Amino acid sequence: MATAPQLARYYAQALTRVAAAPGADGSALAKNLIAHLRATGRMKLLPHIARSLKEAHARQGTLSGVVEVAREEERDTALAEAAAAGVHAKTVAVNPALVRGWRARSAGTLIDRSAKRSLIELYQRITSA
Amino acid sequence: MESIIKNIEKEIAAFAPTEHAEETGIVRAVGDGIAEIDGLDTAVLSEMVLFDPTFDRTLEDALKDPEPIYGLVLNLEEDGVRTVILGDATRVYEGMLVRRLGRLLSIAVSDAMVGRVVNALGEPVDGKGPIAGTTMRPIEREAYGVIDRAPVNVPLHTGVKAVDAMIPIGRGQRELIIGDRGTGKTAIAIDAILNQKHEPKESRPICIYVAVGQKESKTAKLVAELSEKGAMEYSIIVTAPASASAALQFLAPFAGAAIGEHFMEQGKDALVVYDDLSKQAVAYRQMSLLLRRPPGREAYPGDIFYLHSRLLERAAKLSKEKGGGSLTALPIIETQEGDVSAYIPTNVISITDGQIFLQTHLFNKGMRPAIDVGISVSRVGSSAQTKAMKKVAGKIKLELAQFRELEAFMQFASDLDAETKQRIDAGRRMTEVLKQGRGEPMPFEMEVAIIFAAVNGYFDSFSPEETSAAEAKLHSFLEREAAGVLTAIRESKDIREETEASLREKLDAFVARHKESEESV
Repeated sequence: MATAPQLARYYAQALTRVAAAPGADGSALAKNLIAHLRATGRMKLLPHIARSLKEAHARQGTLSGVVEVAREEERDTALAEAAAAGVHAKTVAVNPALVRGWRARSAGTLIDRSAKRSLIELYQRITSA
Repeated sequence: MESIIKNIEKEIAAFAPTEHAEETGIVRAVGDGIAEIDGLDTAVLSEMVLFDPTFDRTLEDALKDPEPIYGLVLNLEEDGVRTVILGDATRVYEGMLVRRLGRLLSIAVSDAMVGRVVNALGEPVDGKGPIAGTTMRPIEREAYGVIDRAPVNVPLHTGVKAVDAMIPIGRGQRELIIGDRGTGKTAIAIDAILNQKHEPKESRPICIYVAVGQKESKTAKLVAELSEKGAMEYSIIVTAPASASAALQFLAPFAGAAIGEHFMEQGKDALVVYDDLSKQAVAYRQMSLLLRRPPGREAYPGDIFYLHSRLLERAAKLSKEKGGGSLTALPIIETQEGDVSAYIPTNVISITDGQIFLQTHLFNKGMRPAIDVGISVSRVGSSAQTKAMKKVAGKIKLELAQFRELEAFMQFASDLDAETKQRIDAGRRMTEVLKQGRGEPMPFEMEVAIIFAAVNGYFDSFSPEETSAAEAKLHSFLEREAAGVLTAIRESKDIREETEASLREKLDAFVARHKESEESV
């Protein structure tokens, strides 16, 4: 017997899949879902479903690549190198904490070519030797 | 100073930035030493992950606290993983970046670990600096199969007369030590470690003592005792004290096994004492409940049997082709009110190759060690017993069994016939001979000589009450005046005719001297 959060996750997964189909109408889907929940006496699942949908949406947001560069002038090189490494980013943020270089994240993948990471690793290796 | 500069320059010269893509996740929730991680879709069970405290900090802040925190993946779930945190859980926070390391949980092992005290991750905790020449070894691995093993046929002498004579342990065996608290379980294991000092250096086992959930003061005392008696030169202590996280207490025995295997695979012998597996089971139960795994009997998870079986199955005597090394396991289990039918004791009894039962009532009667020889057993050790010990020990069991049957009649001593009284006295004498103080393991040849004297009636001229003192006297007499006989037994591992004749001659002299001194009094 599935628990309420589990059931809600199943509904959210089904909804995401249907919504991704070409020509899907989001508001019609939501209306149909609510009607179905009401008919089956599962209205109390609605907040859980909303939460699961938000989580899935947030996860999809992180799937789209993000590139951080240490300095504005590294933007173009970073975008090109990240694309070559498989991260196609839509946005670029400037993060001076990186010191030099860039790092990119997409779909749970991280490519870190920043001087900050390199310096920290160097520090750890020297201090643990 | 020069070496520091050289090291730093070498590191800088060899430096190359990280080129590869890493798989990452984000901490969704953390509490009670467990972290829920969103992402890490391809992580595998028992894989190590790294909680990166430096990712979202400036370089300056990151260098103030750059120590990585490791985690162990234990639950694979639909939209993430659950891990136990192997370290300071208070440094892990929601939203923290977690990186896959792509390797199973491993510890650094090395020959230089001998004489050191390490934690469950193999890191030194004795303040003697880093351990040199380490290689990484996974703490979980499949045990050796049938083809790679050889029969257990080399004895592992514990130096405890009752054990070596009646419940012998072989190298590669798993012998459980079980009993209530305060019955001397640890004492037997420690005596076994101390006794390895009597073994020749080339065949002396490396002893690994794994302290799980114990007071740090107890472990410190133990280290001091082993150091004082010169046993640390072939011992390693793995400690996961009561103050350590449940994850480390669960891992410590596996770390001990991994260290033991490191030596076994070099063709050496290793002895691992797991003190104790009841506490490890409790730690695993705590972790499993926090990981929301369904509880079973006594709230233990369903795989608690597998936890202990996969650990103890790693004890082995390897075939010659595999180097002929061995890993002997002495797991310890604490019972409650002598209840051996509880869940964990029955599990471990069924996994091991025999068990040494310690009884509170025997301990309270002054029997040391408080071994109940009637229900203690060794299933494979007898084939590893030396000829010398086999010759003398055969009669003890029979004599003690007869004594136990008649013991109930002891209170009617005045009404008993002479033969029964004689048997009871013989049993009482034998019981006294088998008594032994803590931390006084005896070399194998001395055990053989004393048991030989006991089964052949050389203590009959002493009253049962005097036997213990007489045994101590015989010990020093043999050391002083029968060194040749003892050497012959040690070297041949047998009592040959000429050795037996000389031993009898010495024992006759001892008895005669005792009679003379009694007459003079």
